[in-house]
Amino acid sequence: MSDVSNAAFDRAAILTIVTNELAQILETSPDEIIEDVPFADLGADSLALIELVEAIEEVLSAQVAGFHIDDEDLENLVCVRDAVDYVVAKLPNA
Amino acid sequence: MTLPIALDAMGGDYAPDLVIKGARRAVDELGLNVTLVGVPELMGDPLGLPVVACTEVIAMDDEPGSSVRKKKDSSLVRCAELVRDGHASAMVSAGNTGATMASALLRMGRLPGVIRPCIATPIPNPDRAPSTMVDAGANAECTPEMLVQFAQLAAAFAGARFDIANPSVGLLSIGEESSKGTPLVKETHEMLAASGLNFFGNVEGRDLIPAPVDVIVTDGFTGNVALKTLEGAFKFIFSLVMGAIDTNDETRQAGKALYPYLIPAANNLTPEHQGGAMLLGLNGLCVISHGSSNDTAIMNALRVASEMHAAGVVEKMRLAIRPDQS
Repeated sequence: MSDVSNAAFDRAAILTIVTNELAQILETSPDEIIEDVPFADLGADSLALIELVEAIEEVLSAQVAGFHIDDEDLENLVCVRDAVDYVVAKLPNA
Repeated sequence: MTLPIALDAMGGDYAPDLVIKGARRAVDELGLNVTLVGVPELMGDPLGLPVVACTEVIAMDDEPGSSVRKKKDSSLVRCAELVRDGHASAMVSAGNTGATMASALLRMGRLPGVIRPCIATPIPNPDRAPSTMVDAGANAECTPEMLVQFAQLAAAFAGARFDIANPSVGLLSIGEESSKGTPLVKETHEMLAASGLNFFGNVEGRDLIPAPVDVIVTDGFTGNVALKTLEGAFKFIFSLVMGAIDTNDETRQAGKALYPYLIPAANNLTPEHQGGAMLLGLNGLCVISHGSSNDTAIMNALRVASEMHAAGVVEKMRLAIRPDQS
């Protein structure tokens, strides 16, 4: 799991979190995770995306109580860039 | 007393009545330790079995991933949490297959190094232990690396579950030659040949039953089609035989002599007696029973879960994927 204890919630920090968590789920290197490549092309199926969402929530909840990603919004998250932009917009002080 | 098996009392076409009855039979006839997980107001009489109460049910047509996130106090999710938290040795459900897989994956997690979990289904053989087919439907699209890992997991499973030394592995294709098949199959063939597994080579659809190998590996789309084709063929052949026996008085008389042999043979081919499918690659045990499971099917699924736990299947799979962690 990503360590965010000293991370400021800027876009770069969120990108690191999302990339690292997805790499862990896909059993690959973070270098293989390209921001604009669709999740499906990276090998992430619908369950892997749910794993990613839960992992992001768990990491960020340590800093932002009750941080939650709405299931209804998932269909709009096609690639890492979408996910990062979504999370950044949801964070209070990003 | 061994850890109980967590049984989703709300899952399946005949839940909760026949599910609870199957659990009671597993306790009485097999001596198993079973805990029901369900909504007390909907369960009826638990037949004296211990109950872990929850408040929600994931329906058969609920979307798997989101239902697990939304219904955190559902019987399925609570079953998976009991295994995760060390309060149960395994979980069994005849409910929504996708949600069962999602619950188990999200709550128990994958074994280190496992790319994706897969579904293993026993294919009966007439004179020896069943062959194990992976993937029977969890992953419609696969990479060669995933198929090799499915083979490793299934070989570890078959070795532990059926006491087979160095299980043989066959790759489902459209010809025996290594040059036959899709790019996925051909690349997987090369990787399996170099994997250190006891690789037999390609097997064809006609070789599925009886299979010349202990493990048959394929992608989830092909595996599910193959499995359902077998099920349909069994039913058709059985109805043909029964129709022939019912032709006239003479054949019906012959049928009376044949039934004691035909019925057990037919039973050996039904999902009800196979005990369901297993989810491989997770940090815990999960048996997925047929949606139309009756009490016998539930009892057999619980038996399989118990035998898998006793055989140390999870630990064997862990070592198969990460042998350096022994």
